[in-house]
Amino acid sequence: MNVKNYIAGIVLVFYFGLLGYLYLGIGQGKTYPAKPISIIVHSKPGSAIDYMARKVAEIARKYSDVAFVVENRSGTQGLVAMQHVLDMKADGYTLLGVTKSFVSTVMVNKSKVSLDDFLFIANMVSDPEALISNKERNFTSLSDIIEDASSGETTQVWIGPGTGSRDHLMAMKTWETLGINATWIDYKSGPQSILAMLRNESAVYVGNPADIKGKTDLAVISIASDKRLNALPDVPTFKEQGYDLNESMWRGFAFKKGVPEEAREYVTKVLQDVVNDEEWKNYCNETAVFSSFEKQEEFTKRIVQETVETDHYLNKAGLLVSYVNKSSIHLLIVFLIVVSVVFLLLFAFNKFSRREFNYDQVIGASILSFSLFFYFQTTLFQIPETVNITSPALIPRIWIITLVFLSVILIIQSKTKRKQPVKATPGTVLIIIALLLAYLFAMQWIGYFFTTPVFILAAMYLLKYRKAAFMTINAFGFVLFSYFVFNKLLHIDLPLGWWFI
Amino acid sequence: MGILNDLWLGLQEFGQFLPILMMFIGVIIGIVVGVLPGLSPSIGVALMLPVTFGLDPISALVLLVSVYLASNYGGSITAIAINTPGTPGAVATTFDGYELTKQGKPLYALMTSLTASTIGGLVGTIILILFSVPLATLALSFESYEYFALGVFGLTIISSLAGKSPLKGFISSGIGLLLITIGFDTQLPFSRFSMDIPDLADGITFIPALIGLFALGEIFYSIEKGDTVKVEKTAKVDLSKTLPVKKLLQLKTIMLKSSVIGTLVGCIPGAGGTIATFIAYDSAKNSSKHPEEFGKGSLEGVAAPEAANNGSVGGALVPLLTLGIPGSASTAVLIGALMIHKINPGPELFNKEPGLVYGIFVSLFFANIFMFFVGLMGNKLWIKIIAAPKSLLYPIILALSFIGSYFIQNSVFDVGICIAFGVLGWLLKRGDFPTAPVILGLILGKMIEENLRLSLIKGDWIDFFTRPGSLIIIVLAIVSFFMPYIKKKLMKKGV
Repeated sequence: MNVKNYIAGIVLVFYFGLLGYLYLGIGQGKTYPAKPISIIVHSKPGSAIDYMARKVAEIARKYSDVAFVVENRSGTQGLVAMQHVLDMKADGYTLLGVTKSFVSTVMVNKSKVSLDDFLFIANMVSDPEALISNKERNFTSLSDIIEDASSGETTQVWIGPGTGSRDHLMAMKTWETLGINATWIDYKSGPQSILAMLRNESAVYVGNPADIKGKTDLAVISIASDKRLNALPDVPTFKEQGYDLNESMWRGFAFKKGVPEEAREYVTKVLQDVVNDEEWKNYCNETAVFSSFEKQEEFTKRIVQETVETDHYLNKAGLLVSYVNKSSIHLLIVFLIVVSVVFLLLFAFNKFSRREFNYDQVIGASILSFSLFFYFQTTLFQIPETVNITSPALIPRIWIITLVFLSVILIIQSKTKRKQPVKATPGTVLIIIALLLAYLFAMQWIGYFFTTPVFILAAMYLLKYRKAAFMTINAFGFVLFSYFVFNKLLHIDLPLGWWFI
Repeated sequence: MGILNDLWLGLQEFGQFLPILMMFIGVIIGIVVGVLPGLSPSIGVALMLPVTFGLDPISALVLLVSVYLASNYGGSITAIAINTPGTPGAVATTFDGYELTKQGKPLYALMTSLTASTIGGLVGTIILILFSVPLATLALSFESYEYFALGVFGLTIISSLAGKSPLKGFISSGIGLLLITIGFDTQLPFSRFSMDIPDLADGITFIPALIGLFALGEIFYSIEKGDTVKVEKTAKVDLSKTLPVKKLLQLKTIMLKSSVIGTLVGCIPGAGGTIATFIAYDSAKNSSKHPEEFGKGSLEGVAAPEAANNGSVGGALVPLLTLGIPGSASTAVLIGALMIHKINPGPELFNKEPGLVYGIFVSLFFANIFMFFVGLMGNKLWIKIIAAPKSLLYPIILALSFIGSYFIQNSVFDVGICIAFGVLGWLLKRGDFPTAPVILGLILGKMIEENLRLSLIKGDWIDFFTRPGSLIIIVLAIVSFFMPYIKKKLMKKGV
């Protein structure tokens, strides 16, 4: 026996040990809660809702037998996180962090995910919307803003992140309440908006009180809540100035519908304990938010009301149209037509100029087809008339026209290749690609730890590597290595597979 | 001297057991994060953030900035070794770094990259300490007009990346620019070109696309050529041949210049280190005595982007600490960390908490030096990996790319994107189309579109030319675009 065989043996022993460790504990325990409860958060670590979820998890240790673990799944304005929760079992072990922006997200995206699929169990905090301006403007109250809006020759500009976002809707609501005219410019992100405010580019920035922390040039003019914030005792509310406007970004938790009653009760109880904890009050003060605990009934009622209101303002802004007004099938047919026409033309061109097809031409024609197909899609864009934007088709069309032009030149210039691109064996590549797809598919079902060694072994075999001991060390050793790095060092859980959990 | 006093305060704050330990841990984790494809600096910092909740503010921030710094270096290792940029900032390093590996001189590239990264990091830190206040003014003066101009400037670099056929280079960048328009419109909450596919609504996730295009594309291409079955030609070359110090010294001007470029571009919020690496690469090529070596294994071509990349770390901290504005994805997480530790970044921070701010600066300094030594030891390991047979290595790279793409958003669709871009990269490579311009298009497309459209709402086309900032950048762009052609003409005349 050789040293490498011993090593291979040891690697295998560790591998099976790891499998046992990972899979034998699953599914034990009968009474709820038997395992940690994950909190799915729709944004990256460090964001407001992420911090809240982590704070809850931290305080909940005092009141819960099992841990709460925060998991970030960002993307598509929260739809990714919502969809993930709906994909999981309604067993009470997956909690979703929810915010008010979800109400408009599902409407604007016309997504299949609906708020009705969720059980909103507790509202935790409300973060009041605030009007912020540069101190150079000398605004101290709402009446200063009104005066400025009606005196200037140019329309007052309000900014913030997003069109159709909560901040945008807040701006529209405020204009209505104050009876002024102003325009909204979307600065894409909070930081870019704040930069613009620091340059004093616009009159008002719609944000939250925490946005001005540390920024001495900015001031909060008014907040849209019932009472003043402890953190900002000098800032008046809308109500104090005679305007009935209440608008806050709430953050809370929801389960997928169909969750066992005991789970709902248990988690609600823990959350209630958290809210009553002294540490929670400190957290609310530091982050300039109100603790606003509401149980399922009230919380759901609030969401129903806000859905109606959001619908009204989104309609007013003209944001309930969509670019997608053709189905996938419809588009596929268009695409196939475009491809056939382009390649027929290419065929005709080659016949006419007595050339043979070559690789550059095929690439050129493919790019041409895709570009024309994209152009067709830009003609379907519907632009709401009410918002102040430039055409969404402008930039894509610039790129498309450039690509069309360049690929036509490529097709015309290309000559039959002097030599074929090396001795090519694309067969192996195609098998590798198929193998990758199979790996991807299988991993979702039976998990990372079973599929990965199989994939690596198969790929090595395909590439004609034949030393059994090294193959074993490589394939199984890699799994051990990745378990150590991802699960242990970086705290990312590699998937165990849908069949087992 | 105020600064010396503050630095002394910072040193006292940093010079305790826990912060120093966190620096060591941070540098090592950062290199690991950088090496793993898919884990970018921002993801690394985000992953470490929850760990810092229990630490005191200085230890927490030292850990995070060390991870940030070292991951920017770590990305270059895989870029050089296996043509897989571990981080977006390492894309430009593949151009010459991987070429050197193919020529059997991986240590040349690795040493250059390590030295350049360290120098870049140190220069960035020094600039941060000395000039953060004037630099904050620069960061603040950038409006949408200047961002647009900077994006266009970035695009002109294609002319020096395109290689043999400019036409093919332009087509490649066009592909990237068009593909990045898929997903949410920059001004409306509607998705473009997503063809009713829910997963495509958010567009193409950048990092899986990057991994696919470079790592998978290269692997597919070399499998097709039969590289994996051939006897390793590198076996004859001594892979552990080290780089003579003299050669490193020759690179000092390029490293210093690129570090400064990196720091300046890094401090512009939203521009970021990746754009800085391309600009530094381009400027190094334009000023080089041997521009013809770029893309064929030039040491200058490795030094420039790496120095810029690590220089950008110091730069990115400028707007974060002085204005309270996160300039990059990584600093967006850092600002979260600051808030959580009850620190409000902004103009007052330097007066209120000099110990903390300067403690971070001092830690950056030491982290750079520590990173250099860890890198030296690491190089011995990377060489062994490079020497492994391709048929053993490729399956592992494929599996790593796979998890790397998956973990950005826990999304199977992203892995699909990675594979699709792998196929795209392979098809392009077969036809001699350069793949780097595709990435450049993907990086710059959003920035160009967002800022052009915002500028057009605020003003008019003419504003791009009447504002001094954007005008200067546009002129630079034009010069940079035509420079390679002018140089070629001049050289022909000279001959």
